[in-house]
Amino acid sequence: MDNTNIIGVYEDEDVLLKAIDQLQENDIKILDVYSPIPIHGVFEKLKLTTRLPYATFIYGAIGAISVFAFLYWTSVVSYPLKFGGKPLNTLSFIIIMFVLTIFVGTLFTFLTYFIREKMYPGKKVTMPVPRTTNDQFAILIEMGQAMSAAEIKKVNDLLKKTGAVEIKESE
Amino acid sequence: MEKQLKVGEGFKIIGFVLIAFGLFTVLTGLLTGDHVRTWANLLLNNYYFMSVTIGATFWLAMQAITQSGWSAAYVRIPQAMSNYLIVSFILWAFMFFGIHDLYHWTHHDAVMHDPILLHKEPYLNVPFFTIRYVLFFALWIFLTQRIKKLSLEEDKIGGLTNFNKIEFTSKVYIFVLAITFSLFSIDWLMSLDPHWYSTIYAVKKFVMAFYHGTVMITAIAIILYKLGYLPALTKTHMGDFARYIFALSIIWGYIWLSQYILIWYANIPEETVYYVPRILKEYKNYFYLELIVNWAFPFLFLMWNRVAKNAWALLFVAVVLMAGQWIELYMSIMPDTADTHNITYIEVGTFLGYFALFAMVVTWSLARIPLVAKNHPYLIESLEHH
Repeated sequence: MDNTNIIGVYEDEDVLLKAIDQLQENDIKILDVYSPIPIHGVFEKLKLTTRLPYATFIYGAIGAISVFAFLYWTSVVSYPLKFGGKPLNTLSFIIIMFVLTIFVGTLFTFLTYFIREKMYPGKKVTMPVPRTTNDQFAILIEMGQAMSAAEIKKVNDLLKKTGAVEIKESE
Repeated sequence: MEKQLKVGEGFKIIGFVLIAFGLFTVLTGLLTGDHVRTWANLLLNNYYFMSVTIGATFWLAMQAITQSGWSAAYVRIPQAMSNYLIVSFILWAFMFFGIHDLYHWTHHDAVMHDPILLHKEPYLNVPFFTIRYVLFFALWIFLTQRIKKLSLEEDKIGGLTNFNKIEFTSKVYIFVLAITFSLFSIDWLMSLDPHWYSTIYAVKKFVMAFYHGTVMITAIAIILYKLGYLPALTKTHMGDFARYIFALSIIWGYIWLSQYILIWYANIPEETVYYVPRILKEYKNYFYLELIVNWAFPFLFLMWNRVAKNAWALLFVAVVLMAGQWIELYMSIMPDTADTHNITYIEVGTFLGYFALFAMVVTWSLARIPLVAKNHPYLIESLEHH
């Protein structure tokens, strides 16, 4: 029973946000929040930050530059074939660069996310509350060894008071 | 929240002085023989503020049909702007004195000896042109005023009836705009060069209106916030406004490229004729400036969250983008009409006069209605937006 968590399940986004406020006022550390939709308020309240957008930017920049380099090399350096009276280094590069920048940016962001989250195809789902992919929201509070019975009761009471429809313990 | 906007005396005085200055420039321009250029400037500014208003009311309609929550506290800004359409209708009427200076196809003799213009004559003739102008403005004014009336009524009676009615009227308005605003742009801007046409022209002007209409709403919201009228404007709202502008700037760039690259690639003389004076001659600087300001510039400011959520930075972006719209219209109108590439007192004075008039109409309208639609069903969501 080392890594047990207390889970409070909520059915409304706004109730959840108010619950987070109340829990934090009582100095209870929230481990994680599960939600079917992104809620900006949760990021702010839990002070969650991510560097993923910067990674996306870098991938996009690398994508744009390398696609341009490839196009330049093929149609200007290696095989300079003029057609339609257009210059070799042409404006029509833009469309391919535009599309491939988006593609490279998205694909590598996905890969980075998967690696960072240790996800892979066929991985067994570890979801404390399965309905958080549908219509429920869950707050996870780490119980650990240090938590006394009184504290556990306090957390349970608070969760109930803030409108949790279900409270359970799980690993 | 219930605060009513008060218009200061100083603002009114500055406004009237600027309007008088604008009137003076226009009269000077007409009397000193620069009439083609003056009419072109009048067309530019008429179109500028009309399209900003259309874009803002389109934004309003978009919020209604998507039932957006975040923007519910700001619907009064485009509603107040919609009053400018009435003023604009009157101002456009004066343009009919200048159509012979601007539009080649209004000269009967020229049309008779020109097979292309003769072919377009059933559409491009002065009576039908006038009918379209009256009809389009009547539809816009009727629908936008109806949305405003319903929203003001909602303040008194509450409930969902008016909310649903606004949504329906917005759907009609969007449908009407799709046809009328496209034809309006074709009538007044594309027909400046009646031999040339581009099928994406109206789309580009529509995106420009939406883009800069949103910019104007953002600017007004921030100014009101800085004056203490909209205390509910938070960083997240500003972030959303910034995202809206950023997305629209990319769409604008996309449409710009769609028009340019097809003409460039096909390289057919009757199509490239449009870009020849714009890119090869004296307008070259404006041509690149248009693209840099409207498309590249927002990347610097709106991509980084910390800057995009800063009120002063966003206001700065809005001001620069307003200049960007002016450049775009300058590029649409001037090469086909006055063919002057200097910006002198006529350009500056006319713009300032129109700007002051627009600002006064909007503030006058805002001061007469509650700044927040207090019975809007999504108001709480908007105020607690995260």
